[in-house]
Amino acid sequence: MSLFWIVIRQLAEIEAMAASKKVITREEWEKKLSDVKIKKEDMNKLVMNFLVTEGYVAAAEEFRKESGTEPDIDLATITDRMAVKTAVQNGNVEDAIEKVNDLNPEILDTNPQLFFHLQQQRLIELIRNGKIEEALEFAQEELAPRGEENQGFLEELEQTVALLAFDDVTECPVKDLLDISQRLKTASEVNAAILTSQSHEKDPKLPSLLKMLIRSQNLLDEKAAYPRVTDLSTAILEDPAV
Amino acid sequence: MSESNGNSNGGDQDLGLYFLEVCRRKEMKVKEEEEEEEAPSELNTINSSGGFVVVSTDKLSVKYTSVNLHGHDVGVIQANKAAPTKRLIYYFEIHVKDAGVKGQIGIGFTSETFKMRRQPGWEANSCGYHGDDGLLYRGHGKGEAFGPTYTSGDVVGAGINYAAQEFFFTKNGQVVGSVSKDIKGPLFPTIAVHSQNEEVLVNFGQRPFTFDLREFEAQERMKQQLKIEEIPVPPNISYGIVRSYLLHYGYEDTLNSFDVASKSTVPPIYIAQENGIVEQEITYALNHRKTLRQLIRNGEIDAAFGKLREWYPQIVEDNTSATCFLLHCQKFIELVRVGALEEAVKYGRTELSSFFGLPVFEDLVQDCVALLAYERPLESSVGYLLKDSQREVVADTVNAMILSTNPNMKESKNCLHSYLERLLRQLTACCLERRSLNGDQGEAFQLQRVLSSSKRG
Repeated sequence: MSLFWIVIRQLAEIEAMAASKKVITREEWEKKLSDVKIKKEDMNKLVMNFLVTEGYVAAAEEFRKESGTEPDIDLATITDRMAVKTAVQNGNVEDAIEKVNDLNPEILDTNPQLFFHLQQQRLIELIRNGKIEEALEFAQEELAPRGEENQGFLEELEQTVALLAFDDVTECPVKDLLDISQRLKTASEVNAAILTSQSHEKDPKLPSLLKMLIRSQNLLDEKAAYPRVTDLSTAILEDPAV
Repeated sequence: MSESNGNSNGGDQDLGLYFLEVCRRKEMKVKEEEEEEEAPSELNTINSSGGFVVVSTDKLSVKYTSVNLHGHDVGVIQANKAAPTKRLIYYFEIHVKDAGVKGQIGIGFTSETFKMRRQPGWEANSCGYHGDDGLLYRGHGKGEAFGPTYTSGDVVGAGINYAAQEFFFTKNGQVVGSVSKDIKGPLFPTIAVHSQNEEVLVNFGQRPFTFDLREFEAQERMKQQLKIEEIPVPPNISYGIVRSYLLHYGYEDTLNSFDVASKSTVPPIYIAQENGIVEQEITYALNHRKTLRQLIRNGEIDAAFGKLREWYPQIVEDNTSATCFLLHCQKFIELVRVGALEEAVKYGRTELSSFFGLPVFEDLVQDCVALLAYERPLESSVGYLLKDSQREVVADTVNAMILSTNPNMKESKNCLHSYLERLLRQLTACCLERRSLNGDQGEAFQLQRVLSSSKRG
């Protein structure tokens, strides 16, 4: 058989596959949707998990009262965790470090990277506040020894110190370190570490489920045309494109 | 009655019936769980290569008793059932009791029509890992390099990973390797012995496996999870979905706390307002809905009736509607809860007796009345009625009914399902559909499993 015919046959197969894509009408699909059983209490748990993981203590407390859903973590620990997070977000890194150690000294002991990033954030805050001498002293005494232990840390330290080399920081290639987003990054790192230390997942389950929805729709697209939800925020079913 | 009137009444009635159905489903909880597929439990002694092997009476071990002469007198035997497919992984193990003269043992999977005198892997639509050479055979007599050989005393396993579409094999608890599963249709666990005195015991899961299957499954789920985590979703989309959920069900106090907190986070969270019109649908009568939910959750059914008569007389107008029925049942349940049994009997006679004999109402009436029969009703088969979740269903019914009185509500379906629920339904339906188009292979999506999944960092 010549190559030509092989190619033609393969094309025919592909065509057949495309043609055999199952078409599911809106009516059929809605029947399938209504056959799905979702328990209210499971949805409540999902919402509670979101509130708790994202640190909405007061809302979690209200939700417990209004829906009777028990949180999967002691709500008091959320308050402590949020205090640490807020401290970092506001640039009070020393305060945050003290609070983490009050909560559980093992968190920083077992997490050198997190500890380094907190110290780095401290350095950034000193530079932001124009405390140049203090910043230099802090970099040499606290951060440099850690950089010697770890090549990655050393590079990050060097980048941070580069902030000092510019009169006008806006010209500095690492000026983003002074951005609020750097605080948020550090805050979320410490938040995740505390959650992990409490053997709780660091991320809420809801965003993963949304990702699962996107993925399962993408996978089903290969085999069928059916009403999909493209805009998650409205959950509107769109008619299958045939 | 005008046509439009008839329609709207019919629609409202449907909403109430929907929740009635939810209640009835709850009591039939056990049946609702997905049916377990039949799994292999023993060796198939009917369809085995008779004459060459002896299968033990428990049908869990096999021995080659003849002297092998050529390639067509293999003692091969399949399991009594095909490997179940509606799961993440299927797996079974053998223990090589005696490697016999040549140790020509094989383990693998074969299709139903497999020629029962050949090693698994030697023929089309079969796959096998062989003990004498450690090679993997897939569909013909020439093996490919795969793993170590195995012999007396070894435990060897074969599995199908439906998520990855792979066969995998293990030796003494360790994964040896995996190959793509290119065979369609039902596959039978298969073992083969092919030299004198070879004896193999098979374990279909009656005894604990040497291989840590649970851990393997957990790792497989992690792998899938990692793929999922790479998918981007719009920022703050979860906030919007949680917020609409709180709005939908009238959890107003939670909503207020949530809003206050999300405004004070750094940076503050702004939820896109472009779907403001849609949100209006569920902001409707928020405070009324909250109040009624609280009353019902506190068991104050009379007060709830009172408020409904005052605010939404149309909902409680028809005393035979599903909504009124659920409220009456709840009142009865509350009376039983506080031990006011005489009053409960009286209430039941006036308000519930008319529902006896009506198909959709009957089950619940009977269950309610049955509460009276038990000294400790909470521990009885109808104890579910006394749980918090029953109050929640009634509160959800009233909530949906109030939403349906909104003249701007476009579809009555929107009264039933929050955005979150619609998305979860879509997710479940997509997974089920995909599985059914994929030869029923793989596990279904279950919210329950996601919620109880291990707490990993």
